[in-house]
Amino acid sequence: MVGPTASLSILQRADGSATYKCPATGYTILSAVNGPVELPGRRDALKPEDATVEVFVKPGTTTGGVGERAIETTLKSVLGDIVLGREKGFPRRGVVLTLNIVGGENVERGDSYLTLLPALLHAGLLAMISASIPLSMTLSAVLLGVTDSGEIVQNPSPAAAKSAVSLHVLAISSKDHLLLNQSRGRFDFDTWELIRARALSICQGAANDGDVAMGEGTNTASVNGFIRETAEDQIYSAYAHKLDSI
Amino acid sequence: MSKEAQLSVAERDFILEALRQDVRLDGRKPDEYRPLDISFGEEYGHVNLQLGKTHVIVRISAEVTKPRDDRPFDGLFNINMELTNMGSPAWESGRSNDLEAAVTHTLDRVIRHSNALDTESLCILKGVSCWSIRADVHVLDYDGNLTDAACIATMAGLQHFRRPDAVVRNGQVIVYGVEQRVPVALNITHKPLSVTFHTYNDSKHIILDATLKEEQAAEGDLVIGINNAGDLCYVSKIQGAPVDAMAIVTKTSVAWEKVKTLNATMDKVLQADLAKRAKVGMADESRATNDREVQPE
Amino acid sequence: MASSAAASNPTIPSLNLPPSQFARLQPHAYLLAHLSPPAASDQPSVRANGRATSQFRVTSANAGSLTHTNGSAVVRIGDTAAVCGVRAELLHTEDIASWSVSTASEAEAGNTSQKGGSKTEDEEDRDHVQDLNLLVPNISLSTGCAPGFTPGAPPSTLAQSLSHEILSLLHTTRLVKADDLRIWYQPPNLESEEFRNAGEGMDVDSEQTGGPEPEIKAFWVLYIDIMIISLAGNPFDAAWASVLAALRDTKLPKAWWDADNETVLCSDNISDAQKLSLRGLPVSSSFCTFEADAAAGWRSVVIPNADELKSQAQKQGSQQRWILADPDGYEEGLSQERVCVVVDIEDGKTVIVKMEKHGGWAVDSDDLRQLVDVSAKRWHEMKRILDQC
Repeated sequence: MVGPTASLSILQRADGSATYKCPATGYTILSAVNGPVELPGRRDALKPEDATVEVFVKPGTTTGGVGERAIETTLKSVLGDIVLGREKGFPRRGVVLTLNIVGGENVERGDSYLTLLPALLHAGLLAMISASIPLSMTLSAVLLGVTDSGEIVQNPSPAAAKSAVSLHVLAISSKDHLLLNQSRGRFDFDTWELIRARALSICQGAANDGDVAMGEGTNTASVNGFIRETAEDQIYSAYAHKLDSI
Repeated sequence: MSKEAQLSVAERDFILEALRQDVRLDGRKPDEYRPLDISFGEEYGHVNLQLGKTHVIVRISAEVTKPRDDRPFDGLFNINMELTNMGSPAWESGRSNDLEAAVTHTLDRVIRHSNALDTESLCILKGVSCWSIRADVHVLDYDGNLTDAACIATMAGLQHFRRPDAVVRNGQVIVYGVEQRVPVALNITHKPLSVTFHTYNDSKHIILDATLKEEQAAEGDLVIGINNAGDLCYVSKIQGAPVDAMAIVTKTSVAWEKVKTLNATMDKVLQADLAKRAKVGMADESRATNDREVQPE
Repeated sequence: MASSAAASNPTIPSLNLPPSQFARLQPHAYLLAHLSPPAASDQPSVRANGRATSQFRVTSANAGSLTHTNGSAVVRIGDTAAVCGVRAELLHTEDIASWSVSTASEAEAGNTSQKGGSKTEDEEDRDHVQDLNLLVPNISLSTGCAPGFTPGAPPSTLAQSLSHEILSLLHTTRLVKADDLRIWYQPPNLESEEFRNAGEGMDVDSEQTGGPEPEIKAFWVLYIDIMIISLAGNPFDAAWASVLAALRDTKLPKAWWDADNETVLCSDNISDAQKLSLRGLPVSSSFCTFEADAAAGWRSVVIPNADELKSQAQKQGSQQRWILADPDGYEEGLSQERVCVVVDIEDGKTVIVKMEKHGGWAVDSDDLRQLVDVSAKRWHEMKRILDQC
């Protein structure tokens, strides 16, 4: 299986940006973060102690609808969790994240956004890193499907996701907390616990250390390791001038 | 509503003074476009266009729908553009602004109303089903001249796009997947593009393809939509300082030349991409069918 | 957090505010003081509204309250009240753009959209109910249902995402059977007659076999409108319960295709009308987490690992967070983390249909297992209420 690809800081105007491409599901997400910015005329965004995280999801070939609003709410609460919105300069300001789905199929009306959610989360997180938004930790997410025969499939394709008995998206922080769970379909709790264990091993890698699991495109590489690697690559290129002089 | 950072007085004076000496900030000639880079994505009709620092992605999509009652022989074609916070921090996602309205209007006039895409060819079954073609313009970076960038990208997308083949059998419309039948190119009747000029110093200086800073310092603008054959489709001089009538005539011939070069560039990139696809096409197609056979399980 | 210290120390004489004012001024400390009363006072840990942590509010449901709908219900959970009306409209297949369209692979398999063919019933249901948008739920949070909902405002993000959640849950649970919504027509078996609607309904192999296949001529589209007339927290549970009750109440008139008039006719005889047969009874239960120290996650420079967090909580002895079932508006405002569990019980076996959590990092496997058990209990309670209404 081909692993995802990502790159940081690709846009000129936005404070931070990233692309994230997941070949298994076929989605490419482009994300941009601006923050901290003023949100004038927005009384709801004037939180005296905290920054307001705003998320906007723009589908590739349709106009946004209720599905986008619902997924925005979820993304907002998950990413808002790890943003240190009380750092200096952030209260009463906004951190505005725009996620543009530039590759892959559209999500049908009334369909859950589950197949897209991990890619959106990763793209959002990478853009936040690119914009140097202070974060308490990072996260990694995975989509798991359970087939008729009870087999757990990682990153099922949109067609496979449709025929799955249940679909689960779990986001796990770099410190093993369960940040998000969205499960749909028919399942019992024991199945979910298997899913949870599987998600943990996929996100954190068996060795539970980002440095170890950096094999090239292998299945053993953890998602968290991938996020970390992408960020490190960016730091290397950004500080190339310093590294050379040492 | 947030706004783009205003130009300082010194910056404005500098731009104007430089123009008086026929110098532009980036050293271009008055009638010169910034470097144009067009590339195509994996899907048909996915165009990635960079004009200097202005960066847009256009995606063309097609679906079968019911034609409008008053035009049973016509397909549908729409161009959609929504400015988000991604393109410029000054834009608020989900709220339209003046620029969005202006650019959408121009695109509509230049491409849609000039009938660049033959909508009658989109009809499948009279009054029952037709193709609906949709162009979505995503603005990733905004550094001036969004109109031309979006217009070139949309036209490139329409020429690059292939819709699935569809036939009518016993009143039943059958749509063939990309791997079953060679998809069909859209019927492009002509290739109009917009060319945007900005005027300075009582329209003594008229420049092409202004950057954001140059746009902010401009007195007025002039948009000309013209095709390869030299047919004018759209001229707009809506706001700003008056322009000498003769200037419009001379600039129209400049625009014509530009459109011919732009279309030539576009053709070259399109041909190169199609040749590339043809080469890997066989291998890809066989792989695609294999993938598809696996899926129903 | 001087005030929280003051709150848990009742000996300070200056603090002589009536509880209602205290609740407004220091909401977090007020709820915390209720949940963790000082050890000296002999009070049990209850929520500010007097409920135990896993206790739901008093729920009542009434079906068939509206006369001009095909089915309706009012559900009240505490002070949150939702009205749901289901209205069925006819959709002729000739008005569906995608109806006469099939992809080549389907056509080759002799499996056009009119016929089920080899597909299972479930898959076909999904095709029709979802692809043709036969269920159209819409939630509106009416003006004044809670402070902050002003007249004339566009649908709030909350209303939009609730609409989506309801629709998505209707689709994943496949609650409504597509067969209930289909209006069939059996063409007379006359070989010589040329069918008027040959362009509409014939497929290739029916001509070969000679006998006309029954065709679908129209669908019922169910417009499910939900209005939250009073919002005091937990709108999703109330909205979903009202949808469930309304759909159980929904009766569709008997309808048939009249070949002579080329239209669908409905019987006005009430006794001919049929109830929908729903798949199961998924019941939704929502929870929120109240943290003793809301800013803990921000203040600590290094957030402890999940394991450390657990052992820390055990060490400290006093409870640091509470999972509150069916939160009211006051409690929702004080918590970030939300959990929503939708369960159905079939033959005594609990099936989870949807399980969601977001907004925090406290709730994990152990808590979720308990919440599923709580939701299963709630299912029995809701079933009793819905059966009675």
